[in-house]
Amino acid sequence: MNHTEDSNETTAPHVVKEELLASGRWVKLEKTTYVDPAGSTRIWETVRRTTRQTNTNADGVGIIALLKRTLHKDCVVMVKQFRPPMGCFTLEFPAGLIDEGESAATAALRELKEETGYKGEVVGVTPVTCLDPGLSNCTTQIVTVNINGDEMENINPTQQLEFVEVLLLPLDEFQTKIDELLKKEEIVVDAKVYIFAMGMVQAFFKPRELPVLKQ
Amino acid sequence: MEFEESGIGEECGVFGCVAAGEWPTQLEVAQVLTLGLVALQHRGQESAGVVTSDGASPPTYTTLKGMGLVSTAFSAEALLKLRYGNLGICHTRYSTTGMSELQNCQPFVVDTLHGQIAVAHNGELVNAHALRKKVMRHGVGLSTSSDSELITQLLAFTPPTEELDAPNWVARITNLMTETPTSYSLLVMFKDVIYAVRDPYGNRPLCIGRVVPVSKLHKSGGGDSDTEGWVVSSESCSFQSIGAKYYREVLPGEIVQISRHGVKSLSVVPRREGDLPAFCIFEYVYFARPDSIFEGQMVYTVRQRCGRQLAIEAPTDADVVSTVPESATPAALGYAQQSGLPYIEVLCKNRYVGRTFIQPNTRLRQLGVAKKFGALTDNFAGKRVVLVDDSIVRGNTISPIIKLLKEAGATEVHIRVASPPIKFPCYMGINIPTKEELIANKPEFQDIAGYIGADSVQYLTVEGLVTAVQKGIASMQGDKMIDSTYKAGGSVGHCTACLTGKYPVELEW
Repeated sequence: MNHTEDSNETTAPHVVKEELLASGRWVKLEKTTYVDPAGSTRIWETVRRTTRQTNTNADGVGIIALLKRTLHKDCVVMVKQFRPPMGCFTLEFPAGLIDEGESAATAALRELKEETGYKGEVVGVTPVTCLDPGLSNCTTQIVTVNINGDEMENINPTQQLEFVEVLLLPLDEFQTKIDELLKKEEIVVDAKVYIFAMGMVQAFFKPRELPVLKQ
Repeated sequence: MEFEESGIGEECGVFGCVAAGEWPTQLEVAQVLTLGLVALQHRGQESAGVVTSDGASPPTYTTLKGMGLVSTAFSAEALLKLRYGNLGICHTRYSTTGMSELQNCQPFVVDTLHGQIAVAHNGELVNAHALRKKVMRHGVGLSTSSDSELITQLLAFTPPTEELDAPNWVARITNLMTETPTSYSLLVMFKDVIYAVRDPYGNRPLCIGRVVPVSKLHKSGGGDSDTEGWVVSSESCSFQSIGAKYYREVLPGEIVQISRHGVKSLSVVPRREGDLPAFCIFEYVYFARPDSIFEGQMVYTVRQRCGRQLAIEAPTDADVVSTVPESATPAALGYAQQSGLPYIEVLCKNRYVGRTFIQPNTRLRQLGVAKKFGALTDNFAGKRVVLVDDSIVRGNTISPIIKLLKEAGATEVHIRVASPPIKFPCYMGINIPTKEELIANKPEFQDIAGYIGADSVQYLTVEGLVTAVQKGIASMQGDKMIDSTYKAGGSVGHCTACLTGKYPVELEW
């Protein structure tokens, strides 16, 4: 039997204090002091958004919107835009921050309409999930949305943001279409998008095999 | 009713679809093709076949064939193979005299000098026998007895004016059309284009539809930018349910090119000097679905008009009018409206019973009726009934029905037939029984009422039928497109060979 009276071994890891290092209009940098699982006190550099609302633990929403039209392939609504931190164009799901007083569902439908022009209906909302936990506390909720493509307002909709290009990619060829795009253009695909694509391939074509990316 | 019972049928149905705009398309071409076939199921139930193309250079064709009804012939997994198609053609086949094997199912895919073509054919070549000899004399070997193989070989023949690497499909198709006058409605798919062809006599039907977004289907707008695809079909009945607007008919003798850019008329091959078109009148009488449109008029309306004409030509002193369900109903309603007699239902049909009258003797035939029909006794007991049927061919299907009604209490049963008696064989694709079997050619026809046990029998006259059919064409209004195609063509004509013995072209033996 071990007699370790060391109080460190029985303490769970936790944050001790946060000191502000720099703050901008949208984002701030902090020095986080914390106790690690072994009991040692350490420092972590943390990024946080300044925009998180009080009623929610999620900074924003990501939207997986499926455009459904009679006798057409179901298509995922994607956005391509220039992202200054990456210095290039990216392929992402439509997304945006949750405004004051909004629920994740409301924010999702609003952002979808603004970025793509489509009017959708919420099917489901995921729990709060972290985006890049080694860097920041930024969180998102993924909202799945169906768009009735037969309705007049969803036929060739006008979007309200000029610099966002809307792409419709058929769901049953999602990964193939993304790979084709990568060959043609200098873009970086968002991780959530690529993982979703891999999942669709797995489910659609190889339900009982383990997923393996061919090099 | 007798057409249904005797298995007298149309040879088949053809359907095609080309997605408009950018390729690879987001339109579910395979689904549109399958839905089109289901809508044409009444034209053929023996087998179905689909060929899609990705439209690339060189193209990849994917074929799917199956026996039986479309709903059972293709599994969902099999249909997945077709999902990369940007265009395709398909075919439903009726029981013919040939072997019912999967290889004989259309569409046929064949290699030509310029690449593969797929062909779907509806009709029967009147000079097939002589043409086979001619083709074989040119050194071509044939491996089946089907007309469709003959057509495909004729299309593979290189026309003299054609250049080495530029296929001239108008010349090839025109060559085919000059070799054989009738009857064929053809879809020829080559790479990224479908050629829709109708023989110069227009014997078999063929029409074009434009696929638009579902919510724009019933608005008069729906401009060119809304076109999502083009469909071509033996009958227009499929169009509404797949979200397509009726566009126009393929004219007799016309070669139409359907591509992702639109519909273009390439040529119209003329008939022999002085000949009128010969659209099969039985498409109106029986074969087509009532909601299909031919020559600008709805088939149901024509059948109803036939009923009215029948009431004018053959009025009856009776109490009620009824139908043999279901194909004779529009005519029966027309008869009732014209005569002023009330329309009632006298027969209840068991739709789960197939053909029952292939029985050799009377007793078994009566058992057949017992399976298929029941008498709605309360509706007509003690009354004199006018029973309208769409055809009497051999006469052995209507007699058990008359007996059933009389035993159930009808005091008199008067048969009124909404088509003239069939006396001659058809060489254009309808499998009518031999001349000897037709009741109109037998001595019994002199007292047909006595023969079948009715109190009276009257047929619609040929003149009456032709009037009822053509009245709607002359007076049609509305869609400018339909108007102008008919006015441009000028003439109207229908094939009544099985009724009159006057064939649209000489038959070569």
